[in-house]
Parts: sequence; C-alpha cells; structure tokens
Amino acid sequence: MTAPNANTDNKRNKEANIWLDAHHDPVSSLHTFTSCLSLADLHADGDHKLLVADLGNKTHEMKLKVFKGTNLMVESSIIDLPTGLVTFYMDTNEPRTPAVAVASGPFIYVYKNLRPYFKFTLPPLEVNSVEQDLWSQVRDDKIDVKILREMLESLQNEGSEGLLTVRSLRFLQLEEDELEAFAKLHKSAPLKRQTVITCMSTMKKTMPDDDAISCLVVGTESQDIYILDPEAFTVLAKMSLPSVPVFVSVSGLYDVEFRIAIACRDGNIYTVKKGGKAIRTCVEVGSQIVGLERIGKTLVVGCMNNSLVCYSSKGRKLWSVYLPDSITTMTNLNHKAKGFKAVLVALKNGEVRLYKEKFLLSTMQVDGPVTAMQFGRFGREESSLILVTRAGGMYVKILKRTASFEEKDTVSGPPPAQSVKLNIPKKTKLFVDQSLRERENSTSMHRTFQRDLCLLRLTAARSYVSALEKSLNPVSTSGEPIKVSAHIQGFGPAFKLTIKLQNTSSNTPSTDLLIAFQFLESLYNLSRPCIPVPLLIPGIEYVFETLVECISDKGIADAIKVFVVHKGKSVPIITAVINMPVSEAVVAV
Amino acid sequence: MTMDPLFLALSLFRRRKFEECSEICTQLLKKNPYDQAAWCLKTRALTEQVYVDEIEVDEEGIAEVLMDDNSMAQLPRPGTSLKKPGTGIGAPTPGVRPMSQSGRPLSGFVRPGTQSARPGTMEQALRSSRTAGTARPVTSASGRFVRLGTASMLSQPDGPFINVPKLNLVKYAQRQNLAKSLFEYIFHQENDVRNALELAARATEACNFKDWWWKVQLAKCYYRLGMFRDSEKQLKSSLRDQEMVDTYLYLAKVYVRLDQPLTAIEILKKGIEKFTGETALLTGIARIHEALNNMSDAVQVYKDVLHYDNTHVESIACIATQHFYTDQPEVALRYFRRLLQMGVYNTELFNNLGLCCFYAQQYDMALNCFERALSLSTDENMADVWYNIGQVALRIGDLALSYQCFRLALAADNNHAESYNNLGVLEFRKGNIDQARVFFQTAQNLAALMYEPNFNYALLSQKVGDLQSSFSAVNKSLEAFPEHWDSKDLLRQLRVELAAL
Repeated sequence: MTAPNANTDNKRNKEANIWLDAHHDPVSSLHTFTSCLSLADLHADGDHKLLVADLGNKTHEMKLKVFKGTNLMVESSIIDLPTGLVTFYMDTNEPRTPAVAVASGPFIYVYKNLRPYFKFTLPPLEVNSVEQDLWSQVRDDKIDVKILREMLESLQNEGSEGLLTVRSLRFLQLEEDELEAFAKLHKSAPLKRQTVITCMSTMKKTMPDDDAISCLVVGTESQDIYILDPEAFTVLAKMSLPSVPVFVSVSGLYDVEFRIAIACRDGNIYTVKKGGKAIRTCVEVGSQIVGLERIGKTLVVGCMNNSLVCYSSKGRKLWSVYLPDSITTMTNLNHKAKGFKAVLVALKNGEVRLYKEKFLLSTMQVDGPVTAMQFGRFGREESSLILVTRAGGMYVKILKRTASFEEKDTVSGPPPAQSVKLNIPKKTKLFVDQSLRERENSTSMHRTFQRDLCLLRLTAARSYVSALEKSLNPVSTSGEPIKVSAHIQGFGPAFKLTIKLQNTSSNTPSTDLLIAFQFLESLYNLSRPCIPVPLLIPGIEYVFETLVECISDKGIADAIKVFVVHKGKSVPIITAVINMPVSEAVVAV
Repeated sequence: MTMDPLFLALSLFRRRKFEECSEICTQLLKKNPYDQAAWCLKTRALTEQVYVDEIEVDEEGIAEVLMDDNSMAQLPRPGTSLKKPGTGIGAPTPGVRPMSQSGRPLSGFVRPGTQSARPGTMEQALRSSRTAGTARPVTSASGRFVRLGTASMLSQPDGPFINVPKLNLVKYAQRQNLAKSLFEYIFHQENDVRNALELAARATEACNFKDWWWKVQLAKCYYRLGMFRDSEKQLKSSLRDQEMVDTYLYLAKVYVRLDQPLTAIEILKKGIEKFTGETALLTGIARIHEALNNMSDAVQVYKDVLHYDNTHVESIACIATQHFYTDQPEVALRYFRRLLQMGVYNTELFNNLGLCCFYAQQYDMALNCFERALSLSTDENMADVWYNIGQVALRIGDLALSYQCFRLALAADNNHAESYNNLGVLEFRKGNIDQARVFFQTAQNLAALMYEPNFNYALLSQKVGDLQSSFSAVNKSLEAFPEHWDSKDLLRQLRVELAAL
C-alpha cells in the first residue's frame, strides 16, 4: 500500500529539488541551535560571515565561531552556555560594521570587530527578605549552617524556589560536609539575585533600513522582557509577562510603533505594543510551542503535537498542517529579490520542509535531525541555507536561481490509498471442497475432535504435572514467586554464564535462596559452583555471573542446569536449562 | 583365489567404505611406497571421509558479519542488499508472517543463514544464534574448519598421511594425475588453504592457464581467505573455458558474500540459459529472493523447480509455508501431505500438518497430528510443538490449556520468547499486572527484534499510567515493525497525553 505513495513522493521531490549542495561537512562537531546561528557582513566588505555560538559539549568548550566561507576564521571562548546570538548596528560610524551580541547567563557579551567590547549585566532582582535575613545572620555567626539549610528548605518548599538566589540553590544541593566551607567562602559577599536570559532578538530603533541602529529585545527567566538601548546600554523599557518567554518575534520600530509576539512556556502567545503597558494574551495554542516565526502579518507556530499552526496578528487561527514527525527547529526564508517569504521546518526524521502558507513546496532529506538552520546571505551568495544537525554535521545549500515556487494544494482529492486494491487471496476450490466434506460429516468430525481434545488435555496435564514435580520451569508456580533466565556468552573455552533472577510478586520479598548448577564435571569447570542469593526485592532484576570453562577439546557440548533452591530444601523451586554451544578450539597463532 | 588388493580397494571406494579402502591402500603402500595408484586412492578415500559440499555450506562467522568490509554501499538502495532485507516490494509483514528470534521471516526449510539475519550488534551476534542451539563460528576461516581438521587427526593415531609442509609442491604440480587428488586432500582434509593455494597456482601455471578445474580451486582458496574479488576473477575466467553448474553456483555465492544479491541472481540466470532446468541453479535464485524477503518471486521460482523435479523437498516446504501465511492453509495442507507421502517423517512436518488442518477446518485430523508431533519431538523442537498447541487452545477458547502449554514450552526451551509474550497476555487478561509485566520484559530481552512484546508492554504501561515506559516501548515496537497500525495508534494516543498541558 505504501508503494504508490512513495512513487509520487519521489516524483515530486525530483521536480521540486530547489536546493544546490554547496558544502557538506559531516564532522564539523558544531553543537548549536537556531537562536545561536547568524549571518552578517562583519567587515562591511560584502562578504557575509557565518557566526555560530557553539554550545560545545555541555560543560566546556563553549565558543563563538566565525566562518568565512567554509573555513573557520575566528574562535573565541565563551564562559557560560550561550542562549542566543544576534548581530546589530549599534552606531552610525563608517564603515558600517555590525556588533555581535551573545547572551549567556545573566550577561550579554558584545563584540565589536570580533573583539570583546562590552559586557552588559541584567539589572539584579529583589532578594527575598527572609533569605537576605538568613544569610546576614550566618555572616554574623548567629545561626549555623544546618539551621540555615533547614530554613532555606522550608522557603523552597513554600513554592518560592524560583525566587531564591543562585547561592542558596547551590547551597541546598551540597552534601552535608561541604556546607560549612561553602558558607564560609561566600557569606561575606553581598547577596544578589540574578536571572537568566532565555531568548534575544533585535528591533530597529528609528529607521527601517537594513543597516539602521537596532535595540536588543531580551526575554528572561524572571518572566520579563527588556528593551535595551544600543548606544548607552540602558533599559529603555521593561515589561512583565505571566510566564517565562521562550521565543520572541519583533516587528516595527521602537520610536514609531512596534509589536512583539512572545511565545511562553505555558503554551500561550502574548503580544506587547508600543505604549500599551497591558500584556494581551493573543493565542492559547493548546500545546507546547517549539518554534515561532512571523511571516508578513501572520504568526506561524510550531507545536509539540506535530503541527504547524498559523495565527493572524489578532490571534485568529488561519490554518494548521499536521507533520509526519516532531519539529526540531524552524526558521523563515525571506527571498528579497523574488519577494518570497516562507517558513522552513526541520523534523526529527531529518526532513527539512518548506511551507508557503499551508502548502508544502519542497522537502529535503539530510542524514539526521537538524537542530539549527539559518537562511540568508552567506559569502557572496544571496540565498544560502545553513543547516547544523544534531550529530554535528554542517550543510550549506544554495537556493537554485531557477527555483519556482508553485503553490499547489497537494492534499486535495481523495488520498491515493483509496484507489489501491487490497490483495486478498481468493478462497480456493480446494477450500470449497473441504467445506463440503465438513458439512457432510460434521457430527463425526466434531466427535473425533472432542475426543482428541480430551486426550490432548490429559497429555498436557500429565506433562505439566511432571514438569512441576521436577521443577523444570523457569517461572515458579507456587510458593516463591520468582523467575529465572540464563544466558551464555563467549566463544569458548571460557564462557560467561549470566543468570537473572526476578521476584514477580508485588510485595513479598524472597529470602534464603541459593543458585546451584548441574553439569558434567568432566566437561566443564565453573568458577562459582554455588551462588548465595541476597534478599530479592519485588520487581527488580538481579544479575549473577559465573565463568564456565570447557575443559574438553573433543568438540562436544552438554547442557548446564541452573537450579534456584531454598536453603535446607532439596527440591529446587525453579530450573533453567542452558544448551551450551560447542566450544571453539584454541587457535594457536 | 584372492582378489587383486588394488581392485578390491577401488571397489570399496566406490561403495563408499572409505575406512576399509584406506586400510588396504596403507598395506599396499607399505609393500611399495612408490605405488602411485594406491597413494592416489588413499588420498581420495581420506578426502571423501571429510568432504563437505563447498557450495551448500555457507555460514558467515561473527567476524565476517560484524566486520564486513566487502560490501559496496553502506546505505544500499531498497531491495538491493541482504543487509536490510524487507525494503523491497512484496516483503511479508511480521504481522502476517512471524519472525524467527533473530528477525528473519520464518522460512519453510532450515538452511544455514535462514534462521539468522545479520545481527546489528555484537551482543546480538554473540547471544541469540549461539543459544538457539546452532553455534555460529567466530570466523568461518578458522573455527569450524579447524575443528573438522582436528577431528580427522584423532582418527589417525600415527600422524597424518601426508606431511604437507615437506612436500615439493612444484614437482607435484607438474603431475596432473596426482595433483588434483593431492589438492583436494590438502584443502578438505588438512584445511591448509595456503599450501592448497600454492599448489593450485603452480598447477594452473603448469597447464598454461587452460584448465578450468584449477581455476575453480584457486577461487575456492581465495574465497576461504576472504579475497572475494580474486575469487570472482578466477571463476569468471574458468567459466570462459568451460561452463559448469558448480562454477555458476560458486560465483553466485561470492556475489552474495559481497552483498550483491541482484548480480548473483543474474549470474544464476545466465547459468540457466546454458543448463536449462537445472534445479540447483533455480534453487539458488529462489534462496536469494527469499533472503531478500521477496517471497512472491521466491515461490514463483520454487514452482519452476518443482516443474523439473517434483520431489524437491525444499521447494515443496517453502511453497507450503508461503501458502499457509497467505491465508490458504488448505493448499499448504496439500503440499505438506505430499511431503509426508514422499517419506519425510518428523516433528516439524506433523506440527505443520496439525496447524494446516486446524486452520483449514479439518478438525478431526488436527489434534492427532499434534500428538504425533509430540511423540516424535526432541528437546530442540518440543517447545515449538507445545507453543502451537497453546495457540490452538487459545483459538478454541481453552485458556487453562493454553496456559499449561505455554508453560510447557518454556520448560522445554527457557528462551522461548513467544511463549513468554503469550503468557504475559494471559496474565494481563487475568489482571495480574506485575506478573504480566515481568513476562513481557523477559520476552523483550530474549527477542529484541519481535514487535509483539514491545507493543504489549506499551499497552500495559499505558493502562497503568506509566506513559514514559509506554512511549519508549511503543517506539521499539515500531522500529521492529514500522507499519504496525495498533502501535501507531497507541503512539498517537500517547502523544496527545504527553503533550497535554
């Protein structure tokens, strides 16, 4: 049933392959996200560079990397994990070189001409008065660290965990014996509460030109949005949100009129306008938001329920498309020469899809989920697409100049599966003949069947009883509720025998058990011929191991029986039989 | 009057009494060490004792499977590789045709390689096939062949008959009458591939590269040494001199090893053009189709085989299996009965007959067959018979009987994953959630490539509210069987539940 579908898909892909492969480095070892990727004309020479804030390997090697063409040009270390990277013009000096802002923790590092230029720190937040009080008491040695910890824990349990300072949170994570030293080291420093930047964007200040001065728009963990002045780095405006912002999308000019759409962690999108202090809930998406792009006057939102939904600026739902896999990242494609705007969506199965409105224009397959992508001018090429995959591969693709963007509704009409005939085998003549026989001799057939069934039940019951008596089963039936499974690994002459025991009851632990073996002593040698078993807690699998050595070179094998027995009883509870493989001969080299 | 001893030895050789034949030759050689006839006969008698048909035996060792550097493409196109079978058209779904524990669709005829797909990990390679009773050798170059060699050493208390390292191979290569039997002796009895290769190389040179037989032998040596491209060259050159069925089969084998099944099929087809109706070649094609999971084509070729040889057991069994799994048990029943008439009399056949009778609604014969299967069964196949009886019991609604049967299957084979899975379902029905979970987990561990235990575990976890476990289990299930509708449906439900705010 899938074959015709796949065919048509292939055909469409061939027609609509609008990308040229410019560069592919499968081991670029970049680890980054869309928000940390940018393209900019750093030296005002018309050669656009690629800027990447690399997250390194989680704890170290965070770097700002600048690529000229496909070569790494500059690399500079970042102290903490970067959360966003933007380029913006902060002055009117010639030549027009943009500054780079990297958000990391509570700081924004600004680079000019690729040299550190300025570090902006977000204004500190108010410290909880109880917490302040506690630390000042510690400083004056009025209370000891244990009381401090208890008090802080009670503060934390009150639900104000997010409102504690980093120092208190770290203090609560420490082990008992480290508390004293930590408190001693930090108690004299003043208590500060800082927040963390979650997202960052830019907004033109007075002019809509490409190289006009821009303000920074920053969202923080403390549920605020700050707009920063690019020259003096002062806070121009601050707005509070009901939840933590994760994506911001800005339109308009700061001095004239602007509108910021903010996707928050509670699954809502809020909008902020100039002057309007009130935050408006624009949209309740109904699922977690994984991407937000503004196309013209509409907002395209990627949701965790594998859908792409479009809303008007008023918050009215315009359309929605369901995707075959979950979204990893989104970006917009703005082809200025053709006046063409669309949205690129990367999926977990390694597809990158191009959507114009709700119509799928093209699909491209890369060899892993894409975590970061950016469309724009790279080098001297106007329309390039940078893709970074989760495995660290980097692709550079160029949009074909001949690419045509036909909007066609691919979902119209009945689905192709409807016209495919199911391959149901016909009933054969033989079947009809046999059913005739069945109809004629139904009584005698039934009688024979019932007699045979009785006999079979008897045979089964007899074998079952004998298996029970010999405790041949790997799963116990009565008494101790345990289950055993045994595996053999290795080539020989040395093997490893792994025995897994599990208590299958819901709440009765088993005690006083032993594992014993039965084997041919002339053939095998066990390192642990008897294994004592500790208390078995229900539901957890216990693993026991022993080495088996084959001491015969005749190329014969035998079975090893594993018994689980109660201490002091001779009848095993359960048995597992392992058919040993033939041991490989020792090959003399 | 006594018979001429050499004539007697020849007669014994023809009657395949190799031990006695070689004894007489030994005595002749004691009298006259330079008796070439006796020497040659003894060599052949010793070779015949351990002779294995090189074309049939093809079991890849762990080293070959895991460290395969001969295949052409890492990401082959669908339907062109044996590494990822089932990507072509016409592959049976595991929902209709069950998988063996190592992830191949059940085949009608057990051959080396039908039971085990190429394992993905070292762990799988080490565990599944070895505990399934068939030991996979470490490498086919050393393990098994060395063992065969040592076994033959044991039977000769006074050392080997020919001391190969001391032979002057150049001299023997000149004497074509002796060289061929000497080569076979070195290759099969001594398993000394290097010396065999040297002898073959010198001999083929001695007859001016004109003798097709030596080229095939060279190819065999190259194949053993893992030099498949050289082997291919020799075989092709040999085919130019003289077309032989064996050579075609061997060339196809080389291509299969190079993971080029389509080329292998082409070679075999070329062979059929020359040798019309050669069942060995036809069977070769059918086997490759089957390895590619292309069952409909395989059955077509098997039918051609039956056209030329209507007592071909492998073809009958494979066609019958295919009919059984395409919902025509009554046709399968006919084929299996044909096998019975031909004198095949074993557990597997009665088991299959029983199943066919039951599903074709010939109830009066079904259970009788199972009883016979049970009485004939050995330790290895008893578990499967009990499992199938359990299935029949499930169909007639006798849950107590089926429970007993599955337990008996487990007693016979502790690693019978299917029984664990079905026991889990039965326990789940009874409401013993903990017990059911343990059974499903065990089945998952035993047969990672089966989708059923994963799906069942996901369903159970979802019912008790453990969405995270359910999600990971259902993903595993879809990995094993991507089109499984129920798994997809469950995944959709889980997505809704997980994405709920």
